Amino acid sequence: MIVQRAIESVGIPTILIAALPPVVRQNGSPRATAPRVPMGANAGEPHNVEMQTGIVKDTLKQFEILDSPGKIVPLPYEYIAKV
Amino acid sequence: MSLKKYDGLQSEIYVPITPQPVWAPVTKELKDMKIGIATAAGVHLKSDKRFNLAGDTSYREIPWDTKTDDLMVSHGGYDNSDVNKDINCMFPIDRLRELADAGFIKGLAPTEYGFMGGGGDIEAFTDKTGPEIAQKLKAEDVDAVIMTAG
Repeated sequence: MIVQRAIESVGIPTILIAALPPVVRQNGSPRATAPRVPMGANAGEPHNVEMQTGIVKDTLKQFEILDSPGKIVPLPYEYIAKV
Repeated sequence: MSLKKYDGLQSEIYVPITPQPVWAPVTKELKDMKIGIATAAGVHLKSDKRFNLAGDTSYREIPWDTKTDDLMVSHGGYDNSDVNKDINCMFPIDRLRELADAGFIKGLAPTEYGFMGGGGDIEAFTDKTGPEIAQKLKAEDVDAVIMTAG
């Protein structure tokens, strides 16, 4: 989130796909989405093109929707890693 | 009722402070935007220097047209097994290229960025790594950045 904030502060809008929304909130991320994924597969299940496309597209769409900092948008995708 | 007052009294419990908000307004539609990727997941070119797993505040540049087979991860802070199977789990560069081909976005930034997030030398990230990546993105007229971290 430090790097995200640095990029945002030079005038470039940013959005973060997060697996750990509470950490993201605490660290002041300006925009974030939170699919239900484990850390390490933030953009979706390996080789699941449909899920990854959905997560990336829905995340990008937030650029045209969000109008104030600090929002974390839950996304309706779930991947449970087999550990 | 009067309350007793102790100057300088503070909680023994650590209270984290959320930093001040930062906000760059969006001025274009997605279809007109050049999107960059910045990831804290330790992604880099196989030909590039690996991150020092004990702590590393450097970053790696990744050209937009890099083949995913030429990418790898070195990061000691999370389970790498998914990302080793498919780098797009943390670095969705194939998905962004497809979205660019479909006209959903205008294109990718010429250069994407990988670093090893998750703590380490916070000062170096704040004073050097973050601002350097930000300036390079700005110099390449990147319209917005999608990130994976946390």
